[in-house]
Amino acid sequence: MIWLTWRQFRAQSIAAGAFVVAFGVVLLVSGIKIAHAYSSAGVPGCHGAGACANAATTFIDQLRGSSTELIYYTGIVIVYLAPALMGMFWGAPLVARELETGTFRLAWNQSVSRTRWVVAKLGLIWLAAMATAGLLSLVTGSWASPIFRAGQLAGSDSVSLDRLAPQLFGAQGIAPIGYAAFAFALGVAAGVFIRHTIPAMAVTLVGFGLVQLAWPSWVRPHLAPQLRQYLPITGANVNELVVENNQFIVRRTIFKPGGWVVSNQTVNPAGRPFGGAPLQACVSGPQSACNAAVNTLHLRTLISYVPARGFWELQWIEAGIFVVLAAALTAFCAWWIRNRQLT
Amino acid sequence: MMWLTWRQFRAQGIVAAALAVALGVVLLITGLNLAHLNSDSGGATCHGARACATAANAFINQLPGTGSVPVFFGTIAVIYLAPALMGIFWGAPLVARELETGTFRLAWNQSVSRARWLVVKLGVVGLAAMATAGLLSLFLGWWESPIFRAAALAGSDSAAVTRISPQLFGAQGIAPIGYAAFAFALGVTAGALIRRTIPAMAVTLAAFGLVQAAWPLWIRSHLITPLREYFAITPANVNELAIINNTQMIVRHDVEKPGAWVVSDQTVSPSGHLFSGPPTHACLSANASPNACNASIAALHLRALISYEPASRFWPLQWTETGIFVVLAMALAAFCAWRIGKRRLA
Repeated sequence: MIWLTWRQFRAQSIAAGAFVVAFGVVLLVSGIKIAHAYSSAGVPGCHGAGACANAATTFIDQLRGSSTELIYYTGIVIVYLAPALMGMFWGAPLVARELETGTFRLAWNQSVSRTRWVVAKLGLIWLAAMATAGLLSLVTGSWASPIFRAGQLAGSDSVSLDRLAPQLFGAQGIAPIGYAAFAFALGVAAGVFIRHTIPAMAVTLVGFGLVQLAWPSWVRPHLAPQLRQYLPITGANVNELVVENNQFIVRRTIFKPGGWVVSNQTVNPAGRPFGGAPLQACVSGPQSACNAAVNTLHLRTLISYVPARGFWELQWIEAGIFVVLAAALTAFCAWWIRNRQLT
Repeated sequence: MMWLTWRQFRAQGIVAAALAVALGVVLLITGLNLAHLNSDSGGATCHGARACATAANAFINQLPGTGSVPVFFGTIAVIYLAPALMGIFWGAPLVARELETGTFRLAWNQSVSRARWLVVKLGVVGLAAMATAGLLSLFLGWWESPIFRAAALAGSDSAAVTRISPQLFGAQGIAPIGYAAFAFALGVTAGALIRRTIPAMAVTLAAFGLVQAAWPLWIRSHLITPLREYFAITPANVNELAIINNTQMIVRHDVEKPGAWVVSDQTVSPSGHLFSGPPTHACLSANASPNACNASIAALHLRALISYEPASRFWPLQWTETGIFVVLAMALAAFCAWRIGKRRLA
């Protein structure tokens, strides 16, 4: 059964292997350049917050606009796309092709029981998908680790360096492994339900895409324990002040390097969301008078955030949930295959 | 033949129409909200540069709170993905499925000639692909027009509102139409050559992805020769100064070209060579004062040589790029026709 799985999976695995190797070579060449820039900017041996921040900023500035920046974003895209593609090209055709062409009458009528067929095929390719996603994540993660370390040292407020930011979170650590498991199981389930390969591929892509889009906004904030913090808003540190019709918007943007600010609300001294009429000094008057007037309101910013050290906890929780979902889908598929009439 | 094409294309066409309608509804609701906000902040009826800039800024500052940012970037992602998906799901199976299942023996053995079969199938589905891409781009264009107008009034040079920048260019105007035609033709060709549907889909995805990644990097800037301009670098406009290894110095300045695509930005010495150091003595010393360092840099008389495509070149580039991709698509289609015509019905 293992040989059969390999023989039917051969083309896909070679294609994936070739791609991973090619990408790995690109990362290797680029990684050497980064390591060189990292040490020559003086980051590894720096002492003191100020000197370290300077060295880190020098290092990051050197990489801006070069091929390194392109590889960084391409790597993120690749790690996000890989689970979807594996679900589409490995998962959907797995059972759907047998059903579509009628070869299930041969495959499930052998001395090898259907359960064993399912376990071998689904299990082996599931593991291959998880391994591929994990390998891609590991390779891009170690390539980018000097950049992230420098970002933290420099106290950067760029969201493209915050490990927990929704844009980056799913492309690091072990989360891609969970996504790959889920996408693969989703593909197999779609194939089982729809019984035609190409519609199953389309449904897998759309379904997985929707889950990935909705997850960071609606589900992930509830997974992680969040910290709440009140910070004062003064005329000097206001970032956004909008006066228009009867609306008065006062906002202070807070950055948590490496962390994820989930929500940011302006509250009045009583703790309620602020929604007052525009101050006269801000409607018509110089900026300094407006600043002074904002000070008298004693507003505060209430942020709810996941600190940088919560990264791995959130990764394990998310990967775990997706693996459990994948296992549930796979169990359903196995049950369905076992009980299908061979007509 | 028309009915047959529609019957075989029915499922894909309905799915695409449903997705396009769903996206259109989202854009309609949020877009009406945006237009409303824009007129509320006075963007539509302002007079004079200052008043208009103020109104534009008021409008722009409210954007993050309206949830427009995810809609904008989500739609751009959809418009970039749509040609690839149409190539994979409409183009690759077109011929490959007939070859794989053997139904070509029936389909190409009719009174309708193979050429007619191919022309009608490619033409109808290809035009549908181009129309879908064009429609999505039109939706986005309507939705984003208040934002771009406000950004132009406020003189913003953010990359998120520069139509000609590589990140946005391929999702605007008529470029998606060219990409859709090319991706579709690429899919059909891959299917005709590889004769199996799923490998053809994978190859189409990989090939189209490579072309899309490489094009803005290496080819687009050569379609129309960029303009070159020199800027004097003074201490006031330096925004990056880095000393590496005590032997190299990087000086970069602030580029202010609202609406333009800066293709390259190099710091050159008075003799015209690329400047990379050595660091001046005043900047290198341990207790360097910023003033002495700045003065020493000013004394170097460095200039920034930027090559850029101005915003006015947006439409010429769009037409050129779309034209090239449509011509490529036609060449691929002609190749497919030749190849299918030659195939023996064994």
